[in-house]
Amino acid sequence: MVDVEFRRDRIIIRYKGKKWDWILEPRYWRNTFIWTAVLIIVPIIFYFFYPALLNTLISANLYAAIAIPLALMTLGTGRINFGPNFFIGVGGYTAALLSVAYKWGPLLTFPLAILLTVVSALIFSPLVIIARGLYYVLLTLLLPLVFLEITFIYSDTFKGDVGLAGIKLLVDTGDVKLNFLLIAYISLFLMLLYLLIVNKTIKSRYGLIMAAINDDEEVAHGIGVNINLVKIISFVSAAAMIGVIGWFYAHYFGTFAGITYLPLTFLVKILLVIFIGGRAQVFGCVAGGYFIAFLEMILIGTLGDIQPFIFPLILFILLFALPEGLFGLYRKRRYREYLPTLHVRR
Amino acid sequence: MSALLQVKNIKKSFGGLMALRDISLEIRPGETVGLIGPNGAGKTTLVNVLCGSLSADGGEIELEGVNITKMKPYQRCHLGLSRTYQIPRPFPELTALMSVVTSALCGKRRINRGLEDAAAEASYYLEFVGLFSKRNILARDLTFFELRMLELARALATTPKILFVDEVMAGLNPGEANRAVHLIARAKEEFGLTIFWIEHVMAVLMEAAERIFVINFGEKIAEGTPEEIAENQQVIEAYLGPGWKGKAHG
Repeated sequence: MVDVEFRRDRIIIRYKGKKWDWILEPRYWRNTFIWTAVLIIVPIIFYFFYPALLNTLISANLYAAIAIPLALMTLGTGRINFGPNFFIGVGGYTAALLSVAYKWGPLLTFPLAILLTVVSALIFSPLVIIARGLYYVLLTLLLPLVFLEITFIYSDTFKGDVGLAGIKLLVDTGDVKLNFLLIAYISLFLMLLYLLIVNKTIKSRYGLIMAAINDDEEVAHGIGVNINLVKIISFVSAAAMIGVIGWFYAHYFGTFAGITYLPLTFLVKILLVIFIGGRAQVFGCVAGGYFIAFLEMILIGTLGDIQPFIFPLILFILLFALPEGLFGLYRKRRYREYLPTLHVRR
Repeated sequence: MSALLQVKNIKKSFGGLMALRDISLEIRPGETVGLIGPNGAGKTTLVNVLCGSLSADGGEIELEGVNITKMKPYQRCHLGLSRTYQIPRPFPELTALMSVVTSALCGKRRINRGLEDAAAEASYYLEFVGLFSKRNILARDLTFFELRMLELARALATTPKILFVDEVMAGLNPGEANRAVHLIARAKEEFGLTIFWIEHVMAVLMEAAERIFVINFGEKIAEGTPEEIAENQQVIEAYLGPGWKGKAHG
């Protein structure tokens, strides 16, 4: 007789004195493999049955792709950056301006979008050394808002709230539905690539050093960690990864307006992805990204104009009621971990 | 014998408060040197300045002839300077093993040091302090004594030449304190360390230290062997108090 037992973290199947464990924790490769397969199959299904939802899938992948490097940045600097969308703005506007002015395609704008994001991140990187706590939060929060002001002041260049149009598209096959499918796969590839890179980094010696900085940077400094170097590298590399998403947005829509990505409404969505994902859990970012993208779609359809108020409300509730995030409820805390998991101080 | 650590006229002030006034001292290799003084005398400030957590306003610090006054804490650590904290400061979200692995990875620079090599070495230090069985417990779940031991293992894993021990007896019961003292003595023997020991419990330093420095109001008021310090009238007035011997020996 087959005996199936469902536990919180695993399914146990017993048959004639033999036992199989099916561990449900996401860090086990089997589950990663299964979820990756699901994510690869879903766009094809949507393409044939619900093509309107392909756009939501792309948004979900991009939200997750912003949140994953943000998680790395949070761990490596020991601080939560409240202005990741600043780097989306830098990457996006670089791609948009170059594409509009010189008719450059995505491949040509890509290296320059990364370069400018890296340069801007390097300029602001001293923030991770000199500012901490509330000051860091306020300063990083100001960056995208100041950038947004600049786009209005110099509206001849940035075209204000209308945005830059006529950017060369990432994919242009002539078939709109097929374009969406291909972009869904490119965004999925980007997100999975980020997941792989960040997960590998966290599980390496550098992840351990970052975790030490995140726990107590003064002590980490005392045991031989060059904390300033680690913090700046984490900040700049994660910023570059986020900047690529700005480049992606510009070439995906063919238009780019700061008003879409730089205000607080966009930031709240990214923070929600992080908090639903369980505060800087890299795998949680994927769950959070999909949750927020689909919730947004449902809310726009049902609530209309009051929809922007719902996300901050959910964020507040999560901050107080579920500090570990929805994904954290699912993820069992294991103490016998060989390598550290991401954790951000409250 | 040339000095391992030489401190010349170190000054440190916080606003108008002069925390350290022209402190000079010399520690020779293999010594156990004690530092005593009343509360607020500037003992921990001195350790913070020596380890680089605070920058000195004046004076010079030399480790094996190398001027480290302007060096950052991580650079001093690479040269062989390590410390424990008065109030344990573990990495709360790391396991005991991983805390020590971080030290073994980042302490003294060694070529081809991988995570696995560091883990093997960290296991040895955990075994040394008696925490190997707790290696997979998160640091935040350890007891106070275990945290003290974890701090010691973390400091030893950086392979220091000189170890600053900041009030290791504070908060420990007599049995635990005894174990801690013996462990530090063993570490000194086994790893060839020089110990700079800040302590309130005079009886411990009388037994363990070869020389003792006494500071009061940020100023060095005495230096000598434990016996000399015990007889020093200025030290008795400022810190030990009359009849301290009777109290110390119960």
